[in-house]
Formats: sequence, structure tokens, C-alpha cells
Amino acid sequence: MHTVSIAIRALTKSYGALTALDSFDLEVEQGTIFGLLGPNGAGKTTLIRILTTLMRQSSGDAFIEGLDIQRYGCEIRSMIGVVSQENSLDRYLTARENLELHARLHGMEKQLYKRRIDELLELMGLAGRQKDFPDTFSGGMQRRLVIARALVHQPRVLFLDEPTTGLDPQSRRAVWEYVRSLAGSMTIFLTTHYLEEAEQLCDRIAIMDHGRLIALGSIQELKDRLSGATVYEIEFTGQGAAHYAALLASMPCVLDVTQVGHKVTVTLECWECLSEIVTALNGAPVRRISLQERTLEDVFISLTGQKVRE
Amino acid sequence: MLRGAMAIWQRDMQVLRRSIISELVAVVAYPLTIYLAFGIGMQSYIGLVDGAPYALFIAPGLITMTAVSAAYNESVWSLWFHRRVQFTIESYRVTPVSVSEIVIAKIFTGFMHGLIKGCVVGMVIFAITPFRFPMEHLFQYLLFLIPGSALFSCAGIIGGTVMDKPETIGKVEAVLVMPLIFMSGLFFPLSSYPSSLLVWVRALPTTALFEGARRALVAGDLMPLPALQVVLSSVVAFAAAVFIFRYKMSE
Ligand SMILES: Nc1ncnc2c1ncn2[C@@H]1O[C@H](COP(=O)(O)OP(=O)(O)OP(=O)(O)O)[C@@H](O)[C@H]1O
Ligand SMILES: [Mg+2]
Repeated sequence: MHTVSIAIRALTKSYGALTALDSFDLEVEQGTIFGLLGPNGAGKTTLIRILTTLMRQSSGDAFIEGLDIQRYGCEIRSMIGVVSQENSLDRYLTARENLELHARLHGMEKQLYKRRIDELLELMGLAGRQKDFPDTFSGGMQRRLVIARALVHQPRVLFLDEPTTGLDPQSRRAVWEYVRSLAGSMTIFLTTHYLEEAEQLCDRIAIMDHGRLIALGSIQELKDRLSGATVYEIEFTGQGAAHYAALLASMPCVLDVTQVGHKVTVTLECWECLSEIVTALNGAPVRRISLQERTLEDVFISLTGQKVRE
Repeated sequence: MLRGAMAIWQRDMQVLRRSIISELVAVVAYPLTIYLAFGIGMQSYIGLVDGAPYALFIAPGLITMTAVSAAYNESVWSLWFHRRVQFTIESYRVTPVSVSEIVIAKIFTGFMHGLIKGCVVGMVIFAITPFRFPMEHLFQYLLFLIPGSALFSCAGIIGGTVMDKPETIGKVEAVLVMPLIFMSGLFFPLSSYPSSLLVWVRALPTTALFEGARRALVAGDLMPLPALQVVLSSVVAFAAAVFIFRYKMSE
């Protein structure tokens, strides 16, 4: 049975004349990892701030575990964990005290949170530094501490706004591994700019831009949607590349040809025309023909364009 | 219901405990310098004010000033810092704690800073100067000092909520808070004001506070009207602080 954990209906948020969220619709299933992607200023943080009751929507509705975010703010906050885009650690409290304060704000009993905090510090590799102040931590350690804080009260829904920004590959992998281990027991809603992160972690992905949802599905579904065209890279030995590039460009089933040095990239209407290409290249000094896998990045760029956002 | 407020207030007191010595040294230095410069240095030029030596005349006001400005400063800077720099207010707001609890905790912290620092300055002045007052006057004095610290803490909370830039906070302190304190008869008797102006000066809750507090401490007078004025102002400021903070957070 699939139960909906987060339901968003026609959610809209305007800052004056700017519409940061434009009738946004989305459903996230319980126990899954959901990734929200989008260029800078797309409205990802705005959406998370509304869902975590930090901000009120201009119109539309949203429900967390069936509860209306506008009416049941307190109940919702007691079952969500939030890692915001900026680290909001208290630099006057030690790492451990940061977690303890959070536990107390959630009304947890001391004997309960003591053990839980021990576990989390161990898990995040911070046990040895628990008596230090967070401003003596590296960026990655601070981020891990924020994630630990969001988990102290064992939330049912976890919101992560760019959880691994600024982390080195090792720390990023450690966070991924941990997030993956949580899936199933809680619903995870994350935003990221790292497409690899989304591919590694998420069951489903949404891509948004200018406050609107522009694509939704599993990674494979999104890649498949990137038109039926397939791209091959052909590497030649010797000087023939330019000649064969011109020859390939004249073939009807070839949509596009680009040549850089010995390498020619051809875009075909469909993979069935590969045999025609091979026939045409009969006797050519071909060293290698390889299929270019579509990446999530291709999907992302094709949907949101090349232009850098101001 | 106030469990969350308690947790935040305890956090503030824990942080204060850690830095109490340096905080107190800083807070005692200023009034003590003023006391030495004016009370001792200028005493022989000034003579008696309202029948008392000048050093005695200004001592209660210096204690009151320390308390209320400590309450104001703690509240305004702490709220600004937690809201704009550290984003800790936001981390409180994603827990089941209500916005009112957060602001109540912060008001109470500022109030405690005022009370603690006022008491310490009082003790220092008591220990190293000839300023003396009968112990039973302390009760009347506290009837002014407690709502006075609360009033300034609430004013600080309002300031820290509405002002986003640190330089604005500095400017407001220079043009509003310090003049209000100095105008309220801290260094001179109110009778020095021309009578046309005096009506307005007396209408200020700060004047009621400083004048009432001095009379309470030195003479043991409990002037009901000024006391009521300070209490009412602090109640209004409390309601305003809670309302403004909640409004700002719902934006
Ligand atoms: N408090 C605010 N007042 C006015 N406009 C805002 C405010 N917060 C965000 N915006 C605007 O809303 C839009 C969406 O911002 P948001 O922070 O949600 O983007 P984002 O997708 O999280 O971007 P990033 O990837 O850079 O974090 C942006 O155009 C931003 O300028
Ligand atoms: Mg963002």
C-alpha cells in the first residue's frame, strides 16, 4: 500500500510582484527519498520553508502526513526534522549542547535523549568533538552536526535543503550512506544541485524552475523522456575524421554531427539506424564507437536551459 | 505550556554563566567611571543637590541605568544575532515550540541580565563608595527596578525584531535610548527643567522610573503614580513585543 506523506496542491507564494512558487502540485510517498532539483532561485527553499511552517503560502494547500500545514503547525513540527540551507548552529553551545537543546525543545526526557545523542554523535563521527564549539568545526563537520540535530527526535519526515553543499567527496558519501539507511523508516525530501546525488539517492525526482514543476518521475523515466534520439561517439585513427563527418552529415537518419579532432559525435533519429552508419563506415579507420549515456544533467539542462540565473 | 520557553531561557543562562566574569567587568566599568568622574571629581564644584551630596544623588540612578541598559542591550543584540546572524530563531521555530514562547524566553533573559548586572553594580558602589541606604528601602526600589528592567528588555526585543542592520541598532541607541535615560534626571534634579518642559518629561515612563527608583532607594518613598506608570508601560511593552515578534515571524 502506498500512503502519501507530503501532498501539495496548487501551492503559490508571492514576494510582492515576484511569484516564487506558482501553483505547485506534488505528492511524495511515505518512506521514499524524494529529490527536488532546480537552478538558483527556482523556489526550492521557498517550498521547504512553507512545508516546514516557517513561512505562510499565499494560496493553495499542503498536507504533511495528512495534516494541513496551516492548521496543525505545532503537530507537524513535532514530527519533522529540518536541515536548512544555512547552518543554524548555536556557536555559544558545544556540539552536544546543541543537540540537547533541540531535544528539550521537542520535550524529550533526559534519559531518552542522552542515549539517542550518544548514538547520533557516534554515527556522524563527531563523538570525539562533542565538547567543542561548532565554530571550531570544518564545514563538513558542521553540516553533519546539523543533520544529527534534525534526527534527535526521530522525525517521520525529514527535510534537507542542500544537505551536502560544501562537503568533500568522503563526507558527501558518508551523508548519502546515512540518508539511504534512513529511507523506509522516514520520508526524506531533499533539494540538491548535485545531479549525482539525486541519481544516487532518490527514488523520485522533480525538476522545478521559476516556481513551477517542469518534470517529475524516476531517474530512468526522466532520462527516457529526453527524446528518442541516441548519441554515439566515433573515434577515428589517422586523418579521416573530417571526411567521414561530412559523409555522415549527408545521411538522412543522422540529425546532427559535430567533430572535434579525431572524434565525431553523431545524433541519430533512433538506435535502429546504427547499422546504416556502420555500413557507411565500412573500411574507415575506426578505433571505437561508443554510446553516450544520457545523464540527469542532460535532462536538467534540456529542461531548464543553459543560461545562468541572476 | 512554557516548556519550550524554559529550555531557551536555560540555554541563555548557561551561556551567561560561562562568560559572567568578563560580562560583569565590562558592565561595572562604565557606571563606576561615571561615578568617579562626576561623583568624586565634580562633587566639590557642585555641592548639595536636593539636600544630598552629588555622589549620593547620582548613585541610585547609576544602578538603575546599568540594569535597564543591560536589559535593553542584551535583548536587542541577542535577538538580532539569533535572528540575522546565527539563524537560531529559525532552528527553534521548526520545533513544536510556539513563537510566543520564544519571545517570552528572550524577554526574560534580557530582564535577568538587567537584574543581575544592576545588583552587581549596586554592590560594587556600596562596597567602594560611601553611598549607603537602609536595607528596607531595597524592597521599594525593586518595585521600580523589576518592571523597569522588563520595560527595557521588551523595548530591546522590539528593536531586535524590527531592525535588520547592526548600525541601525547603534543609531537608535544613540538617539533614543541614551537620551531618554539621561533626560530622566539621572545627573540633575528634575526641578532644573523649565516648567513648560517638565510636564512632558514627567510623562515619560523613563522619568517615572529613574525618579521613582531614586526616591525609593534614598528616602524609602513609594510613589504609587510613577510606580504604576512604569508597571503599565512594561505591560504594554510586553504585549507589543510579543505582537511585533509574532507579526514579523509570520511574514
Ligand atoms: N524573503 C524574500 N523576499 C523576496 N524575495 C525572495 C525572498 N526569498 C526568496 N526570494 C526570491 O524567491 C525566488 C526563489 O528563491 P529560493 O530561495 O526559494 O530559491 P532556491 O531554489 O532555493 O535557490 P538556491 O538554489 O539558490 O538556493 C528567488 O527569485 C528569490 O530571489
Ligand atoms: Mg535554496
